[in-house]
Amino acid sequence: MHRRTLLQTLSLASLAGALPGLSISALANSIKSYSVEELPKLEGELTLYLGRGEGGLYEDVLNAIKKRNPNFDLKIRRGPTAALANMLLAEAKAGVSRADLFWAVDSGAIGQVAQAGLAKSLPTDITAQLKPEFRFHNWAPITGRIRTLPYNPTKVGSKQLPTSIMDLPNTDLSIAWAPSYASFQSFVTAMRLLEGEAATIQWLKAMKQKAKKYAGELGVVMAVERGEADIGLANHYYTLRLKSGKPDANLTLAFTNNDAGCLINASGIISLTENKTAIDFIRYLLTTEVQSYLSSEAYEIPLAGNNAPPQGIPTLDTISPPNVDLTKLADVRPTLTLMRKAGVL
Amino acid sequence: MNVISKKCVHLLKSLVVCSALFTISAQANGPVGDHVNHLSKHLPAYEKEVHWLIEKVDGIVSRYHKDGAKAAHADAVVEHWEAVKFHAAIETNYVLVYASIWQGLFAVKESIDKGLPINDVRKEQTKLTQALWQGLGAVKMAATLQDKGLLAQIQTREGAPTNSIEALDTINTRLNRVVAKYAEKLIDTSVKMVAETYLNLFEGVEGELIALDANLVEDLEKDFNVTLPKAIKSHASVEDVRQIVATMTNKVNRASTLIKNNANNKKDVF
Repeated sequence: MHRRTLLQTLSLASLAGALPGLSISALANSIKSYSVEELPKLEGELTLYLGRGEGGLYEDVLNAIKKRNPNFDLKIRRGPTAALANMLLAEAKAGVSRADLFWAVDSGAIGQVAQAGLAKSLPTDITAQLKPEFRFHNWAPITGRIRTLPYNPTKVGSKQLPTSIMDLPNTDLSIAWAPSYASFQSFVTAMRLLEGEAATIQWLKAMKQKAKKYAGELGVVMAVERGEADIGLANHYYTLRLKSGKPDANLTLAFTNNDAGCLINASGIISLTENKTAIDFIRYLLTTEVQSYLSSEAYEIPLAGNNAPPQGIPTLDTISPPNVDLTKLADVRPTLTLMRKAGVL
Repeated sequence: MNVISKKCVHLLKSLVVCSALFTISAQANGPVGDHVNHLSKHLPAYEKEVHWLIEKVDGIVSRYHKDGAKAAHADAVVEHWEAVKFHAAIETNYVLVYASIWQGLFAVKESIDKGLPINDVRKEQTKLTQALWQGLGAVKMAATLQDKGLLAQIQTREGAPTNSIEALDTINTRLNRVVAKYAEKLIDTSVKMVAETYLNLFEGVEGELIALDANLVEDLEKDFNVTLPKAIKSHASVEDVRQIVATMTNKVNRASTLIKNNANNKKDVF
């Protein structure tokens, strides 16, 4: 059994012990899923700061919510996630409060805003809709993305794939990576937190000797598929998307075990107000309909309810992501310093 | 509105950069003024400026012919251009001609600096003059559209695209501005604009696009990350860079068509 699964089982077991008559399996399946049909109508006005996400898919969700709620006026401010997080901090410092909600594409930005004391606590019925490892008192993860090792099976052949991300530079595999990419930097931040600075800089330096640099992670995945590299580092959905457009693509996903190499990061939402409409709006994003839409259209991993992950990746209970407080991924500055020291940026 | 004028409006609107997506960045000569939102009112001034510029350039070329390169002060070609308000009017309304004007300015300056025969310099001067008149024509057309409320106000801050189609339109606008900045000899700015356009705009579209045409995404990936930055960094001619961008723009338009056609196949959220 993977360490994480074991820990979950233990914590469920102790909880089950505290609640006689409630079995572990009942607890595991006790995540409540809601349909949009069960939700109250949204009324009034809200301002949402929306971090730049997946093309227009988040916009499709917002438009669908607006269409269902004719008496609801949603004002949206769009921009890069990091820029909006900084804007919220600056506005708070100036005593200005413009946003009711912040939907960010990575948990680091959520952490930045939450650590500044701007996030309001969420009702327990909202957090109870999320998978146990994704329950936070002041923000709601919406969907997840897993760090993966996409590889080209025709090139890798019988070569041994590493089960630890720290071993990757010691293999004889050619590697593709995108170090200037935000998701990659979150992954290095997780490595720094888990392995320490010395091991991380050593890993970066070793990787620099071997890896070929690309601008983005879709570029990484395409390079692996073309055979420019044996293996790459990228979020899971790039591979799924490429395979959806090119079903015979030479690509397979590998996962490391219990380290930053299989970090699960999440997009999420914060309420900056205790306004009931803002809280109800979050409920809409956790509905079965929205979760399954983001899974099937954006290949993101549903984190609320009992929705299946997108086809092509294993279920969350069969992989072993590291135990990292996602909101700590906001601390990216020391990571950038390390990356510069290693000559990677 | 008759069919022809509708076509004209459509054509210009498709070329016009004057939209909520235009960012007022620091220009070579400072920020764009609000006069660009009141084009009709400023047309007489713009026209006067174009005449003045043409005269000034002619004066420089004539001095070159008479007294040589040193007496000509060819650097003043660019200084004169940056001194006029028309500069911003054309940049915000027809960036393609804006690029041609910069190309013409530098062609006149460099042909003088190189000591080329007067006939060669005059050829470049003629091209520049044509670009300036073209620019004025475009601004006049834009003024007409603006008066009819058919053009969005030029914003002083960028509005983010709300869907892939808008993102692709913005990408084309940005790519045309890359040519303009390159024609201005702003190499680092051009390279940075290409990288930012890729990371902030194309990256958000690729996911949707790759499921529709993986080869097209692969092509554009190469254009953004290799072909265009490489041409700029190796100081290719403006014409070559313009050609690369034109090819990319065609691919972006193809992408836009694919995504529009796919919109009907998308499942509903609820």
